[in-house]
Amino acid sequence: MALARDKTPAPRIVAVSPDDGSAIDLRNPALAAALAWAVPGLGHLYQGRVFKGRLFMGAILGTFLAGMWLGGGKVVYASWKPGDTRWAFVCQAGAGLVAMPAVVQALQLHGVAKQPLFGSLFMAPPLTSGQYVSRGYADRLAASDPDIDAEDFFDRPPLRQFRGEQVSHWQRRLGRWFDIGTLYTMLAGMLNILVIYDAWAGPLGTPTDADRKSRTTPKT
Amino acid sequence: MIPFLATTPIFPILLAALVDRVPGIFFGLPLVALASLVFAATHHEDPAEIRFATVHWAVWLGGILGLVIAAVLLLGWFS
Repeated sequence: MALARDKTPAPRIVAVSPDDGSAIDLRNPALAAALAWAVPGLGHLYQGRVFKGRLFMGAILGTFLAGMWLGGGKVVYASWKPGDTRWAFVCQAGAGLVAMPAVVQALQLHGVAKQPLFGSLFMAPPLTSGQYVSRGYADRLAASDPDIDAEDFFDRPPLRQFRGEQVSHWQRRLGRWFDIGTLYTMLAGMLNILVIYDAWAGPLGTPTDADRKSRTTPKT
Repeated sequence: MIPFLATTPIFPILLAALVDRVPGIFFGLPLVALASLVFAATHHEDPAEIRFATVHWAVWLGGILGLVIAAVLLLGWFS
């Protein structure tokens, strides 16, 4: 008896298409939502909604990467220091794993290592006045950043202390591209929230009475 | 009203004037297109319906934002 009950298939969670009233199998909605956050469109691909999955993946990731490119690769970073909180990242984080290196870099730079992962500049937060960094990272910045040289650091063995505001350098060099890139990446992250909801609960649209009537009335 | 404006010959002239007055406005147009596409695709399932709704949203979003920009420019002009 118990064996027979175990073989009963689990009820499917479905949504109704607002276009033709057909059922949309949402499979595991929580997993689909998590996948949709991790990689935009992946939740839809998991549910078998291939057209929308590809569409969201191309649109959201394309806009995020375009924003990164327009902003010279400097617009996505995480910072929660008092007076230097990067609120834009709250929106950018909605784009999923593609924004997560910024969290790793911020944790590394403010942690014991005092430098981003592998000393890489990718998604590293800007240095603020009085910030301590490792000697290796200071040397790397002085060698690769045209706005920074060795005199921008006080020698505080075994570390170095930055004297300046790196974000000011970025904004001066990139001008309005910094803001445009930030806007692109923020919007990509915010729109992915809608995509996550669509993967979790199905389409937002509900068919109106007029829609239903127009579909049931034969066209002449 | 706004869909009507978008189809009149004066629309490209207005757009050209806006581009001249607001540098970088072209970088806002892809964002309007993206928002329209995502709004449409999260409200529909059928590709044809998504395409139609994208145009619908783009005209409305572009029209409303265009009117806001025009109002701000007019305020700046008169002040």
